[in-house]
Amino acid sequence: MAKVLEGPGMGLLKKWGLQTPNFAVVGSSEELEQLAQANDWLNTSSLVVKAHEALGSRFKLGLVKVGLDLKGAAAAAKEMLGRTIGTLTIREVIVSEAVEHSEEYYVAVKSTRDGADVMVANCGGVEVESNWDRVKRCSVVVGDSPSDAALEALAKEAGFSGELIPQVADFARKLFLCFDNEDAQYLEINPVVRNAAGELVALDAVTLLDGDAKFRHPDWTFPFAAEFGRAYTQNEEEVMAVDSKVKGSVKLIEIPGGDTAMLPAGGGASVYYSDAVVARGGKLANYAEYSGDPPDWAVEVLTDKVCSLPGIKNIIVGGAIANFTDVKKTFGGIINAFRKAKAEGKLDGVRIWVRRGGPNEKEGLAAMKALKDEGFDIEVFDRRTPLTDIVDMALTKK
Amino acid sequence: MSILATKETHVVIQGGVAGVNAARRMGEFRHMIQQPFNVSAFVYPPDAGKTNEIVCGNRLLTIPVYKTIAEATANHPEINTSLVYVGADRAYAGTKEALDNSGIQVVSMITEGLPEKDSKLLGAHARKLGKVFNGPSSIGVLSAGECRLGVIGGAFDNLVACKLYRPGSFGVITKSGGLSNEIIWICSQFADGVTTAIGIGGDAYPGTDYVTYLEMFENDPQTKAVVIVGEMGGDLEERAAEWYGVKKRRVRLLAVVSGFCQESLPKGMKFGHAGAKEGLQGEGSARAKSEALKKAGALVPDTFGALGPAIKQTYEELVKSGEVTPIPELTEAEKPKLPRTVEQGMKDGDILVAPLIKSTISDDRGDEPLYEGYPASELINKGYDIPHIIGLLWDKRLVSKQEAEIIRRIIILSADHGPCVSGALTTIIGACAGIGLSQAVAAGLIMIGPRFGGAVTDAGRYFSYAVDNNLSVEEFLTYMKKNVGPVPGIGHRVKSLRNPDKRVKELVGYVKSLDLATPHLDFALEVEKITAAKKDNLILNVDGTMAAVLVDLGFPVDSLNGFFVLARTIGLIGHWADQKRQGSRLIRLFNYLVNYASPARREVPPLK
Repeated sequence: MAKVLEGPGMGLLKKWGLQTPNFAVVGSSEELEQLAQANDWLNTSSLVVKAHEALGSRFKLGLVKVGLDLKGAAAAAKEMLGRTIGTLTIREVIVSEAVEHSEEYYVAVKSTRDGADVMVANCGGVEVESNWDRVKRCSVVVGDSPSDAALEALAKEAGFSGELIPQVADFARKLFLCFDNEDAQYLEINPVVRNAAGELVALDAVTLLDGDAKFRHPDWTFPFAAEFGRAYTQNEEEVMAVDSKVKGSVKLIEIPGGDTAMLPAGGGASVYYSDAVVARGGKLANYAEYSGDPPDWAVEVLTDKVCSLPGIKNIIVGGAIANFTDVKKTFGGIINAFRKAKAEGKLDGVRIWVRRGGPNEKEGLAAMKALKDEGFDIEVFDRRTPLTDIVDMALTKK
Repeated sequence: MSILATKETHVVIQGGVAGVNAARRMGEFRHMIQQPFNVSAFVYPPDAGKTNEIVCGNRLLTIPVYKTIAEATANHPEINTSLVYVGADRAYAGTKEALDNSGIQVVSMITEGLPEKDSKLLGAHARKLGKVFNGPSSIGVLSAGECRLGVIGGAFDNLVACKLYRPGSFGVITKSGGLSNEIIWICSQFADGVTTAIGIGGDAYPGTDYVTYLEMFENDPQTKAVVIVGEMGGDLEERAAEWYGVKKRRVRLLAVVSGFCQESLPKGMKFGHAGAKEGLQGEGSARAKSEALKKAGALVPDTFGALGPAIKQTYEELVKSGEVTPIPELTEAEKPKLPRTVEQGMKDGDILVAPLIKSTISDDRGDEPLYEGYPASELINKGYDIPHIIGLLWDKRLVSKQEAEIIRRIIILSADHGPCVSGALTTIIGACAGIGLSQAVAAGLIMIGPRFGGAVTDAGRYFSYAVDNNLSVEEFLTYMKKNVGPVPGIGHRVKSLRNPDKRVKELVGYVKSLDLATPHLDFALEVEKITAAKKDNLILNVDGTMAAVLVDLGFPVDSLNGFFVLARTIGLIGHWADQKRQGSRLIRLFNYLVNYASPARREVPPLK
């Protein structure tokens, strides 16, 4: 899943005929003032300014300001831009027009195994979260589109009446079109509001797209945002840059405060290794995986980052019996990075635990074992040792 | 017995290099079980009409490549299964093509990164047709002793170590490709091995789910128990639990689920396969899945490590109840082996091969070339130069500094002689005709022969003959007149005593200034005195001078033309590049430069 920030998300909704408030994404207060010379709404409307970054709890951080005029908006933008929250620097703000309204609703489309669910509620904002039973849904089989009648019935079921029924149905129909055509996995408009003219407007949206479908969407020129409520760290971004260039894959997520570093192979085994660390009372310093026979240099970059994690006591170089990832070659990359890290003193007091099988396992494991002679604190096991036993050994060893 | 991939499976592989690699792995498996190869065809439009070479046992098979599935199945009607390896952007169309083919019942997709919508559409389409769409991101399917689809099972040694040459009693279904092999290994060590192992792929919405295969395993009498290796996210494990719990099942069910670590991770942080991303309302946690499976009666160890003992326990129960009879182990000698390659046999020292050629000058088998045993980089670092390399490769010796300097001068003096001479002119004509560097330069080199540049070897040969046999100049000239003809290395088309060749003067002057015995050069100069006195242009030419000097240096006579070939190649490359740079156009001879001496136009007589 790939999260999309509010600006490009709103852009996609507009593309599919949904009404959104006027908005502008700017990188400086000067840019906002220039835009105001061309866009009347910036001068006449009450404005909302929000940090346009992948951040949770923006309100609490003071990164949402409402009820502003242009001057106030420019001041708010100036104040927010350049602020750092953790590792993230705010580089953009989104300025949008406040929409006068009394009623708030909820419309969403969510991917399901068989297709998608269209979800509608006649309440919105925080109210819908505490009244989830008021959300009514209509399932659509993949390849189909919901009929107008079905959507009107859904609106009626959700408690809408009168002219709102066709309006809500039409809104849901367009949102479904956007979902289906844009390879979305989740589109949530909360709240949908009714403006003074009686039209439905999408005030805030959560947009999750299928990153795998990027190849058929030339207009997805926006970057995807980090999925977990914080910005990527520099090390994570560097590993992602390598990942995008190579066959197979390398992945890294840093978890501050942990003492057990993970360097396992395979997307499946790596989670079992993480589970084992948690089950044995260890604290994960990161998540990592390399899989699909990546080149040795890519594994070397990943290893280099893992060795650089602060405060680690153990490194778990785990892995199942590979189908086609060359153990000797990938271990070659790991060994290069280990040697470098050792020379830089990063492995002082760090124990390394290895378990692996697969093509050229004998040579790969022998090369790892030979590191002992170079003064590494390393224990090496082959396929006869069960997958996660090295975690047990690492975390029970005094 | 087995499911999905059986003795009756015949395969078409859709894809390029990755598909060919998979076919090679499949060939190893077929050799292990001593069965004929079961990939009938490839479909890959860029290579349509070609064939792929696959080793199966000790035979090299050629498997045809077609443009479409329809062509492949028309030519190979036995095909009933397709493996999809094409890129994510073309995988939907390729898979649909296979599913819509009446002969194909199973399509397994190895391709990763297929858009979710495409996966759902293909899954729904397959269900509608009553077919199986396995994957995407599937590592493959393997039925022990029967059939391997894809690379699942890994290298040949691992196939044997996991006893995949004969069926066991455990079915395996996993989302993770990497763990499929691990679980196959565990089943072979803690129990009697697997019947069929299936990778369903780690995507959020795979084409088939655990229940599809649980149903099949339930109907396969050979399979006594099924192991599921699950992951957080989605609801496939819950549905498997529901299937297992709803009524008494014949097969026993074991399962592990990963993702417990999520509970102690910072909020919102998720990792693993796409399918492992937690649902938006918190459904699909590892704990929920694990509990559901336990409740349905499955054996669910708490960690992956405890899976081996759990499988062992199940196996022992099956043996005790008489449902399973232990299979006798094969001895080392009985276990299948891959045919050894000649290389391996030679490495092991029990095969002797009569070499086809012998090389005594250089060796490329290490990390850098060795010239006559010397590493190229060491020669560079110790100050050796091109003439020394010529010495090593042409005469198997390290020449002295003095000799190297003479060689260097010979090359400089012969590097080029303008555009009009036979070699350069030919290269220029070639360049103007638009042909490539190597062809045009080779055309120029072809001109080197008795009349142009190619007299060095012969001149050397006869000067050597004279010196070796202590012939006087007179005796030599008599011998030449009687047996050979004009003396090679003597005479020039334009140069003469009055218009001497500066190159010859230069070279002779330099060599004579050195403390070096030059019997051949001296003899050649004596010959010139006599011949030039007879006719002004019968001077010692550059070929003859080079020949005499090089023979004096001890170079073998047969290598002598090489100095001119080498030196002039520099000039010919220059002429080709020069024409290319100018964008020269095609040239042809003007009519007025030809003496048309053929008969005048006349009537053709009737054909007899």
